[in-house]
Amino acid sequence: MDRWQYLIVLGACLLITAPLELFGRGVYRQPRRLLAALLPVAAVFLVWDVIAVAADVWWYNPSYILGLIAPGDLPLEEVLFFVVIPLCGLLTYSAVDHILTMLSRWRMERRANR
Amino acid sequence: MNGLGYTLPAVLAVIVVCVLETRVWRTGLFRRPAYWISMAIVLGFQISVDGWLTKLSAPIVLYNEQHMTGIRFPLDIPIEDFLFGFALVTAVLLLWERRRPQPVSSEVYEVAEQR
Repeated sequence: MDRWQYLIVLGACLLITAPLELFGRGVYRQPRRLLAALLPVAAVFLVWDVIAVAADVWWYNPSYILGLIAPGDLPLEEVLFFVVIPLCGLLTYSAVDHILTMLSRWRMERRANR
Repeated sequence: MNGLGYTLPAVLAVIVVCVLETRVWRTGLFRRPAYWISMAIVLGFQISVDGWLTKLSAPIVLYNEQHMTGIRFPLDIPIEDFLFGFALVTAVLLLWERRRPQPVSSEVYEVAEQR
């Protein structure tokens, strides 16, 4: 069960942020915009990660990963990290942005009605 | 430590992201309160998630201390991780912001309000 740890951490991140999709236009509902933001950055960071692992700058504890290894000697979980963490960041930003926009609209309407 | 393996690329990543925004993309993300509020929230969650991944008692990710400052704070998180996380999330938000849909007429005044 310990070998699921890294994957469970990533799953928990997706679960906790999932309700943020309900705010405004959401993130998952804009798949093209999402991929255009996510893929180039993930590619750059994956290259960095592959180099760091090859150079023994950091590595992953085999006790806490499933052991599925992607090309470049990266565990599956580490590849997913660069999808999950940006998704969490985007969902947070999208929700906060929507809430601030609603607040400013509400303030302006209140001012206009005075 | 010589810092070449992690500290240096982490600092460079932050610089590259900031230069891309201020010199090339100019999305205005850094002037948006929503960005700074989001980064504060992300930072809070990073401490719990990254803290779990890097805890020295049972680490999921292990680091070669020769390649970093060796400063771990808070918890057992290498401080370089915060530069890494800032660059990763900010880069994605910048590309997201570049593709912000044009506001429909009823939303124009809100955009004007935010600027």
